[in-house]
Amino acid sequence: MTPVMTEFLQIRQISKLYQPDKEVEVPALDNINLSIEKGEFVVISGPSGSGKTTLLNIIGGLDLPTEGQIILDGKLLTGLAERELAGIRRDHIGFVFQAYNLLPVLTARENIEYVMKLQGRSREKCRARSLMVAEKLGIASLLDKLPHQLSGGQQQRVAVARAVAPTPKLVLADEPTANLDSKSAAALIDMMEKLNREEGVTIIFSSHDPLVIAKARRSVVLKDGKLVTDICE
Amino acid sequence: MLFQFALRNVLAHGKRSVVTILLGTISTALLVFSSAWMDGSHQQMIKNAVEIYPGYIQITGAEFRQSPSFEHLLFDVDKIQAEVIDIAGVALFTPRFEAFVLFSVGDKTVGGMLTGINPEKERRVSRLCAALKDGEYLENNDNNQLYIGNELARRLQVKVGDELVFIGTGADYSFAADRLIVKGIFQTGLFEFDAGSAFLAKSYFDRIMASKNLATHGIVLPENLNRSAQLAGVIGRRIGPKYQVADWQQTMAGLVKSMQLDSCFGYITLAIIFIVIFFVVMIYTLLAVFARLKEIGIMRAIGTTPRQVFAILLWESSILGFISVWVGGLIGAAFAWYFCIHPLVFSGMEEQFKQYGLAASAIPSAFEPLTIGRDMAVMFLLLLLSTLYPIIKVNRYQPIEALHHV
Ligand SMILES: Nc1ncnc2c1ncn2[C@@H]1O[C@H](COP(=O)(O)OP(=O)(O)OP(=O)(O)O)[C@@H](O)[C@H]1O
Ligand SMILES: [Mg+2]
Repeated sequence: MTPVMTEFLQIRQISKLYQPDKEVEVPALDNINLSIEKGEFVVISGPSGSGKTTLLNIIGGLDLPTEGQIILDGKLLTGLAERELAGIRRDHIGFVFQAYNLLPVLTARENIEYVMKLQGRSREKCRARSLMVAEKLGIASLLDKLPHQLSGGQQQRVAVARAVAPTPKLVLADEPTANLDSKSAAALIDMMEKLNREEGVTIIFSSHDPLVIAKARRSVVLKDGKLVTDICE
Repeated sequence: MLFQFALRNVLAHGKRSVVTILLGTISTALLVFSSAWMDGSHQQMIKNAVEIYPGYIQITGAEFRQSPSFEHLLFDVDKIQAEVIDIAGVALFTPRFEAFVLFSVGDKTVGGMLTGINPEKERRVSRLCAALKDGEYLENNDNNQLYIGNELARRLQVKVGDELVFIGTGADYSFAADRLIVKGIFQTGLFEFDAGSAFLAKSYFDRIMASKNLATHGIVLPENLNRSAQLAGVIGRRIGPKYQVADWQQTMAGLVKSMQLDSCFGYITLAIIFIVIFFVVMIYTLLAVFARLKEIGIMRAIGTTPRQVFAILLWESSILGFISVWVGGLIGAAFAWYFCIHPLVFSGMEEQFKQYGLAASAIPSAFEPLTIGRDMAVMFLLLLLSTLYPIIKVNRYQPIEALHHV
């Protein structure tokens, strides 16, 4: 019997209905189907309110879909307990948030090493890995600074380093360039693309900046919670 | 790693940490000192009450305490004395003979207790001599010279040098009466005692009461006051079942009980204070933890499990609690120690104190490391418990909700 080839990430019939009030129903996502292979560099774009953040949160197990399933590397994430999801996020998924979301009490280096330490890696390994990733992202000289001592672009690079350093299977970045000027935005995406190429990590990010979208190798477009286009280069 | 992170958080949130530590420190110091003070004043009251007259250890005939009649006397005081004095830990033995008599002056007659004592030894086992108010204390070879309580003297309207008569029954049931001269007047502050007691030197008393070598009870002064109970046991086994040996906790059972009751009320008051502290700490922690909800959301989003978040926050509370308890404990202990060595003197309040049976106006606090340790442990648990609810509450949040919290 030949093993069934499964795609790396399967998004199956995902719908999300927000219900802020009893009366109101907001369909944020409507029957999304998407498969992503290992090593892809995908952008999710679409106008504001189209459901990009919601989709990324559901893929990463931060939010639950109303319907549908997420299968990551053959493992069904939907329906897992929060404890298990936390473990999967720690070991297999890296997050980059629009608002950087670095831990304010930790230095850049400690932020980058936090997840690796949770994974139980030795101090030396954490050190070596954080330095290596920081060098690729051009922030090696900033490692001992606290987040509030860094600019937005620098913080976002630290956030990318934090997401990538623990060698996750998948990195999810929600509008990582939204708070950056266009030059730093392009630079950040270039760095992420380099990491994607050199480390083979699958990266999915969202954006509505055409310059940034153009850098991705695959572009998925959402509109009103529906998947409208999916173009591969 | 979790501990290190907790430590970082404690250090980074300096202001909050300081406030929490301050709260904990003050509460601990308060608890340690107030229980030391409570114990100290109770010990002092008991010490006063015991030392004024009853003594630390009493020896009586086996049934004397149930039926205090002349049939159950100590019949061979010299022999008992020789035996008791030999026991290690006994500093002194002195016999007393108490007899109910009528005192009368002119047309006034008052009932009371006339007791034959050994004045010299009595100086060491009771505070009769120190309670002298007027005239002079007794001496061993005094004759019909009387040392009388000030209330009794007032009722009989006698002063030092005045004469009065007593009528009573001798140890051999013979009729006994004599003419006595007031040598000194005392005031212990125990009203009942001052209103019903008078003393004669036992050598003279024995002659008129036919009580030579007899006593209603004997008092033993232990070398170590804290070991009265053990010593009483040793003496009891040595002198045999013909006698009963009771330490102050038995002879003063009522007082001991009332002190325990008082402690109990004291602890209830403290408990109420601590419930307040508990909620203050809890609410403060709740605010502090919710101010960090976003941070906790980030931790959760990047893979910290709820259990690890719980552990980190609990470590933080433990670090803060640990510091509070030690700093507060040391401050409280320092105060307890200081006031143990330099008892608080309520000057000018001697008179009021005497009415409560306190012959002294200085109250030391107790200094007992074990009690202090207990208080510190209780406080530590209380501080941890008070942060438990906020920690659990904050941990209930889904990471995404926590992240969006501002
Ligand atoms: N917690 C929520 N409660 C109710 N409605 C929500 C919630 N979060 C998102 N929505 C709604 O779901 C829809 C999709 O939102 P989402 O944040 O995914 O859009 P987006 O594509 O990320 O937009 P943007 O580009 O502005 O970030 C929107 O209509 C939004 O109003
Ligand atoms: Mg969004």
